[in-house]
Amino acid sequence: MIGVALKSLWGRKLRTLLTALSIVLGTTMIAGTFVVRDQITNAFTSIFETGLEKTDVLLSKKTAFGSDNSQSGPLPASDIAAAAAVPGVAKAEGQIQAQGALVVNGKYTASSGPSFVFSTLSDTFSPYNYVAGRPPQQSGEVVVNQQMARDRHLRVGQHALLATEVGTRPVTIVGVFRYGQVSSIGGATIVGTTFADAQAWFDRPGLTSLVFVKADPGVSQVELQRRLTAALSHDVKVQTGPEAAKQQTDQTAGGVTGFLTPLLLAFAFTAVLVGAFIIFNTFSITVAHRTREFAILRTLGASRRQVLRSVLLEATVVGLLASALGIVLGIGFAKLLGVLFDAVGFGLPSTAIRIAPLTVIVLPLAVGTGTALLSAIAPAFRATRIPPIAALREGAELPPSVLARRATPIAGLILAAGLGGIWDGIFNDGSVLGAVLGLGKTADILLSMGIGAILCFLSVAMLSKHVVRPLARLFGMPLEWIVYAGQRLAALLRRIPRALPLLRALAIARRAVFQVRVVLSALQLVLTIASLLLIASGDAVAGVLLLAIGSAAIGYSLRRIWRKPRPDLEWPPETPTRETGRLARENTTRNTARTATTASALMIGVGLVVFVAVFVNGFKDSFLGALDHSISSDLIVQSDSFSSIPKQAVQAAGAVPDVQVAAGIQFTEAKIGHGGTDVINGIDPTTIAQVYTFNWQQGGSNDLLGRFSGNEALIEQQFAKSHHLSVGDHFQVTSIEGNHLDLEVIGQYKDPTLMPGFTVPSLTLDSFTTNSDPGVLLVSFKQGVPLDRGKAEVARALRAFPEAKVRTNAEYKAHTDSQVSGFLNFLYVLLAMSLIISLFGIVNTLALSVFERTREIGMLRAVGTTRRQLRRMIRYEAIITSAIGGLLGVVVGLVFGWILSKGLADQGISFSIPYSLLVVVLIGAVIAGVLSAILPARRAARLDVLEALQYE
Amino acid sequence: MSTTSDVVVAATGVTRRYGEGDAAVDALRGISVEIPRGQFTAVMGPSGSGKSTLMHILAGLDLPTEGHVSIDGRDITTMGDQALTLLRRTHIGFIFQFFNLLPMLTAEENIVLPLRIAGATPDRAWVDEIIAKVGLSDRRGHRPAQLSGGQSQRVAIARALIAQPTVMFADEPTGNLDSTTSEEILKLLRETVDAYGQTTLMVTHDPRAAAMADRILFLADGVIVRDQGRSTPQEVLAAMSEVSGQ
Repeated sequence: MIGVALKSLWGRKLRTLLTALSIVLGTTMIAGTFVVRDQITNAFTSIFETGLEKTDVLLSKKTAFGSDNSQSGPLPASDIAAAAAVPGVAKAEGQIQAQGALVVNGKYTASSGPSFVFSTLSDTFSPYNYVAGRPPQQSGEVVVNQQMARDRHLRVGQHALLATEVGTRPVTIVGVFRYGQVSSIGGATIVGTTFADAQAWFDRPGLTSLVFVKADPGVSQVELQRRLTAALSHDVKVQTGPEAAKQQTDQTAGGVTGFLTPLLLAFAFTAVLVGAFIIFNTFSITVAHRTREFAILRTLGASRRQVLRSVLLEATVVGLLASALGIVLGIGFAKLLGVLFDAVGFGLPSTAIRIAPLTVIVLPLAVGTGTALLSAIAPAFRATRIPPIAALREGAELPPSVLARRATPIAGLILAAGLGGIWDGIFNDGSVLGAVLGLGKTADILLSMGIGAILCFLSVAMLSKHVVRPLARLFGMPLEWIVYAGQRLAALLRRIPRALPLLRALAIARRAVFQVRVVLSALQLVLTIASLLLIASGDAVAGVLLLAIGSAAIGYSLRRIWRKPRPDLEWPPETPTRETGRLARENTTRNTARTATTASALMIGVGLVVFVAVFVNGFKDSFLGALDHSISSDLIVQSDSFSSIPKQAVQAAGAVPDVQVAAGIQFTEAKIGHGGTDVINGIDPTTIAQVYTFNWQQGGSNDLLGRFSGNEALIEQQFAKSHHLSVGDHFQVTSIEGNHLDLEVIGQYKDPTLMPGFTVPSLTLDSFTTNSDPGVLLVSFKQGVPLDRGKAEVARALRAFPEAKVRTNAEYKAHTDSQVSGFLNFLYVLLAMSLIISLFGIVNTLALSVFERTREIGMLRAVGTTRRQLRRMIRYEAIITSAIGGLLGVVVGLVFGWILSKGLADQGISFSIPYSLLVVVLIGAVIAGVLSAILPARRAARLDVLEALQYE
Repeated sequence: MSTTSDVVVAATGVTRRYGEGDAAVDALRGISVEIPRGQFTAVMGPSGSGKSTLMHILAGLDLPTEGHVSIDGRDITTMGDQALTLLRRTHIGFIFQFFNLLPMLTAEENIVLPLRIAGATPDRAWVDEIIAKVGLSDRRGHRPAQLSGGQSQRVAIARALIAQPTVMFADEPTGNLDSTTSEEILKLLRETVDAYGQTTLMVTHDPRAAAMADRILFLADGVIVRDQGRSTPQEVLAAMSEVSGQ
């Protein structure tokens, strides 16, 4: 029986390949995700280990809580001397770490990664290997990392400006270094300065960010750590070099991959789910088609178990082959992801690809094979129910199983469970699933939403067979009429004697264009691959391999043209008829379950695209809406790299004569009581009302701002709710440096988008934390100042602070819009995989049904159906199927989006239907249908009438 | 009823060779035959005699290696696929051994399918007449799954007749039916020839079927070995054994 299973796979190579593809892409994404994760983690590990390689102990300021956004505070510079005085210390050196980038020839050079300014260390500690020049020795001298020097064409001796807290400072590049042996530090740039310069330029007089300590020979790191801990004040964190490196790695790499890995895996598993639908469909069709074959095997003595095993074995082999291919392609996918990240301005460091056996090989293999096997179980059991007598009967049909007869109520229950899961995840923190698994709040929420969504997809797939008939009519009827009208028009044209030769020429041209198109598409394939390779660094082996595939594709299409040198002109044209369209419609409703499954595969991808669009646009709308409601300034000044605006920039803007108010709004994090962290905003009570409109609650008013001072706080509605606070209450907050504040609530407002958490006067915030630079600067002009002039003047005044981007409110909104679109496109690219898989699904189902209907097609041809009509019929089938999938997806996506927006309503997320996207999606679905019909339609049209008629 | 000047199907020197070189097999070896309008012709012969191949070539489903075939005066061996398809719409009707009905269409829809595909509007009276002729007036709304074998073949006959083709080809039309039903179907074929003057060419190995025809062609080893007029089943059987004995 094993031999039979394998032979049957080999005998149906094309179908096996198409089926396998649905698994290949999913496993590609899984393997690729883990390759990328390992690359990023390894890169960060090596960056931080290199940075602290020569360091025995590292001193830093203790933090009150972990944070990705706030820097830990500085230490007094006196700690350097204090550390050096501890017995066993050979050397202690301070380092200032800050953010800033060079301005070269008037151009600000901040890249896609973070832009660091570090004061340089002596050779005792420094990880820098100089490839040109020397370390900075005097004020105004800087060194830059090699990658930046290469990208920005910097050389030793060049003059430039450095953006600092106190404005730009003229500097001279005196050296170019490589960071240890690390090949790439991603998009990050490092500018090295002297310690004194960094102190002066980054508002750290008498302070240091870190202290690097070297032990005397014979003193162990642990011993030194013990002595320093005893000698220094208790708010100094004392770590050995390896400890600190590990912590830095975990924090940074964990921060990146902790967000990225689940995101990418979610898309990978979506692709796998879509693949499962296709495997299920393909095996269902093949089992139905092979009824005779299985029955013959049964009459020859094969047991039910053997039939079951042979089908499952086929699935396993398909799954294994597909996963193996997926793993290989996953490595390529990892490279593609790298390119993608760079494209969306998310440059990440990376290392050479290392393949972790468990996550990159075992997991994708297990998931791919498991999916194939699971999806084939139902069809396999169906095969076992074929009685031997079916061998003797023509077109024997199986009665539906007990389960199939109850499919609708079961699907109803699944749908209820799925929606319940999503609802519970959003409104009750996933309490039901949490009670069973208890993986922590976030995981419970996401898992119950995810599982809920999968159940919804499954049930909609099961239920949608009931709507296939009306939907096929809905889409099919207009299609028939539109094409019919077109044909009528063409027929009218043919009545004009002059037009006839023209139309004939057109028919000839169409054939010719088609042939050229085949060549072009193959050429295009090669070009795309070649260009991809160019982007993803020249890997010779992969390059040659892919080029070979590309040339093979071109050779194939050339051979096809060669074999059929004189194509049929399909002339004279047939008379207009709607019959082909009607037949197509009847064909899609012939087996509604099959059409429903095929369409459902597409539904998943489309549903997620719509859902993501609804959610992200809701988020954007709420943000832009909040801007419109609350911000009354003329300009919004912000840095594009999430860094803050120097306080001096605020003063510089305020000094512009045309400016009425320049108000910086600070935001950072604080620990609330003994619980979690939240956002703390700092405002200047005297000016804020002129640039920002508070949405007061509980009787609050702008009068409050008049006496807003000291340890008083205004709280946002959500904050009030979650911490059970109201006006008059007191609460404790702790800054990252460990400073405490006792705040009194004097008012409540609502703005979950721009001013979440709570708000204090900026003077209070200044003394509370060192992370007190404003995140945004709002500028209002005096009465009658034209926008252009005002903006130009402020921009001129802020020229010394190139990180501060000056935008009018409209420009700022447009900028936000484009950023959101960029992020959306990134998500769409990841979802494209699922869509591509579902297209293969349509191709596969169509190809199989063409195969199944061979004799019928022969009859249609014999009674006068032209090749063109036949192709058209199959194309319409594809369009109807894909349009159904698109519509179902739109509905499901909107429902998901609506539920989520309801759940996040109190955070200001609104529900808005992205109409233009819906139109694009539906048109896209139709185009997808046309594309996926190309191959099956040509196959059907090429069938020899006689052979088709004699086919059994 | 027929004159030699009114030939609707003509084959001249038709040879059909399968394979190449030493392995080449000639299924037909230089056959020339003319089918006059309104004639019911049966083609008989033992298995492998080339009778099916001859029909396929006459109907334009297969191309001869040598020779020409013309239908209604037009050479079909040089036509492209499109022209041939359009020719089939008006000039050729088919009846198959397996009825080849579309399962999702009703009996009536199956019958008018060729007209619809050709973009023609079926004439109500003619459709009613044909359906009455094949005896399916009370079955026109049924789907193939609800029809017996005989009824399905009646649908197929009506479908072949609906476009009033120049010639109707029937490939073992009773091969898949029991003897009683076969009898009925053959009678029906005979009636349509008589009623509408429908030129019909039928391939069969059933002597009773051949006995319904106006003319019987006997094929053996790719050549026509006997060409006789209307015969009784006994005469057909005798001719068959004579042919097989040669």
